[in-house]
Amino acid sequence: MALPHIFEVTWPEPTKLGADSKSAALLLNEARETFSSHLGVRSDELHFLGEPNLGFHLGLSGLMSEDKNLVYSNIDRMEVFAISESHNSKMLQVDSNGQLDFSKLQHNDVVALQLCNRETGLIQSGHPENIAGLFVDATASGTRIRLPQNWSTALWDSTSWAGPGGLGIFAVSKNADWKNPLPHLDARINPGPTSLALIVASALAIDSWVADEKNLAAKIATINSDIRKYISANIPNSDLAPGGADHLISASFLYVNAEQLVTTLADKGYPVDSGSACSSINMQPSHVLAALGVLTQGNIRLTIHHATTFEQVKEFLEVLSQTISELRSR
Amino acid sequence: MVLDCIGKRCPLPIIELAKALADKPVGFTLTLLSDDPASQPDLVAWARMTGNSVETTEPKTFQITKLTD
Repeated sequence: MALPHIFEVTWPEPTKLGADSKSAALLLNEARETFSSHLGVRSDELHFLGEPNLGFHLGLSGLMSEDKNLVYSNIDRMEVFAISESHNSKMLQVDSNGQLDFSKLQHNDVVALQLCNRETGLIQSGHPENIAGLFVDATASGTRIRLPQNWSTALWDSTSWAGPGGLGIFAVSKNADWKNPLPHLDARINPGPTSLALIVASALAIDSWVADEKNLAAKIATINSDIRKYISANIPNSDLAPGGADHLISASFLYVNAEQLVTTLADKGYPVDSGSACSSINMQPSHVLAALGVLTQGNIRLTIHHATTFEQVKEFLEVLSQTISELRSR
Repeated sequence: MVLDCIGKRCPLPIIELAKALADKPVGFTLTLLSDDPASQPDLVAWARMTGNSVETTEPKTFQITKLTD
């Protein structure tokens, strides 16, 4: 379905009467079933959020009460740090491989588990068990990693399957001890309304994403390993963050100004992100890199897209290597 | 020797540190002053990557020892 057509068929309010609303309701149900099958949760456990990051508050605060502790990690999203301020909480420290030790948890702990870190691609291999509640941050893992069996609440971001931004998919397990932390009068989970056009567009995106991912996963894994090998072998004084998900790489280079590196690469046609202090709004280095003990200066974050080719990567690596030598010799 | 990098932003303190150490013998020590928020994590990473040593003696004050050429 092309975008203008999506807007044409999604303007009616699905809950109203009338033929247009009924067909809009059908579209919403179809989308719900699509997400349900790809994300591995029941369709009646799914909710759509027009503010994706609101899902951190819904997912975590909804599991909390006076007698519970919120346990999170030093590589969690800033949204989780902010929520921890309102509760009894404890921050776990990752080891140098980015892994957490869940063996000392209490039965009244509510745990925030980030399946995949969006800056580095780091995947958490262990899962907490015998706890009061488990919030799963699946915003970076998307369809790539299944939820652990004992999940209570979970949050996905539509952009992780190349869907439109501004849409979060939130789930509350039927087994969860969860109360809506937002002011509410009825059973609706978010004040809404959420754009049906975004929901339908995202459902189409997740379908084609999953189909492509099957065919392209091997290529992306090879490209990831090629990039890592090239950087380690050819660019001196480089530091690679521990990874996991094949589409993400975070690399730092000593004696390089990240702002100059990112600007130069963008001028040469390679848009990359950075976790260095000089490229962040608050002038603070990435808390994820600092927690992992990875160099924060001269940092770039690479995302390997489905359409990325081996030729592009080869050219990019030559440009990267040359740019770093130039910046270091200034 | 004291290398005063107060007010300088990353990566300048570490670039100046590397320049200051370049012609010094192994075992040479200096005190680096830096108020850049990236200096604490980055000096630790620099020491690991280059085989040198760093100790944070007080806030914004780092004791550096050159251990390799």
